[in-house]
Amino acid sequence: MPEAIDRDDVRRLAGEGAQLVEVLPAGEYAEDHLPGAINLPLRRLEAEARDMLDRSRPVVVYCWDAA
Amino acid sequence: MNQQAEPARLMCSRCDRDIDSCEFCDEPECPSAICGRCVDLALGQAIAQPHGHGG
Amino acid sequence: MSPRAAWRLESFGFTDVYDYAAGKLDWLAAGLLTEGTNAERPRAGDVARRDVPTCHLDDVVGEVRERVAAAGWNACVVVNDQSVVLGLLRSKEVQADGDLRIEQAMRPGPSTFRPFVPIEEMAELMVGHNLETSPITTSDGRLVGLLFREDAASAAHGMHRQSESNSGGEGS
Repeated sequence: MPEAIDRDDVRRLAGEGAQLVEVLPAGEYAEDHLPGAINLPLRRLEAEARDMLDRSRPVVVYCWDAA
Repeated sequence: MNQQAEPARLMCSRCDRDIDSCEFCDEPECPSAICGRCVDLALGQAIAQPHGHGG
Repeated sequence: MSPRAAWRLESFGFTDVYDYAAGKLDWLAAGLLTEGTNAERPRAGDVARRDVPTCHLDDVVGEVRERVAAAGWNACVVVNDQSVVLGLLRSKEVQADGDLRIEQAMRPGPSTFRPFVPIEEMAELMVGHNLETSPITTSDGRLVGLLFREDAASAAHGMHRQSESNSGGEGS
């Protein structure tokens, strides 16, 4: 089960080499994204996640908010 | 017979909503008073809006 | 979206997946740095003065006024021990009766704004409402800094000049 984390956890994990993944559409990613985050829109997850992400490293996913 | 005058109503200068004070500057007699929603709209036009869909 | 993405990645066999549930809005509201086209535009959090004097509800106006003036300021933000904004003393309130407690003299519950608000829009509103200062806070009410109208207007003016310069000056 994916673990829900807060921003302090995000900073810690990013410092330890985690992959940050924004799952919003490309236009929103282009405007603002977390430093070092890559863009993998939810609709492209099926086709691209296995190629774009390293299974041996933690993955942190995020979108706009919890609403 | 005395009739008390109704206190002047403060209305949002953008949407006419009744408000107690300007939600931007907090002044109850602001000549350009605006409501909280109009403040958000005025400040939110240049940033992406929160999603109303897709949980 | 992120919970669904997290679960789907686990179904692909990823074993170390986390969901930053509060998301980008939380990150921006905390005043943390971002990358992207919006990051190049000055925002309220970039322009707000971070070294604003602060005081507590139980402090006395006279003592606070001396401390604020010695630091070269004429405003002070009232906070609690967690830096949550409770009130504001602008230039008028700082000149109140020196024996009053801050709690009695302050403007309680002032309107506050997030660090990611664009500076152009803030400047326009601050000038239009003749507002001296605006506290900039995180989404949980913690003080980031105090935005001055003249700083906001200056930053917005600088953006306009940059924009005009980028769009091409007069021919030689």
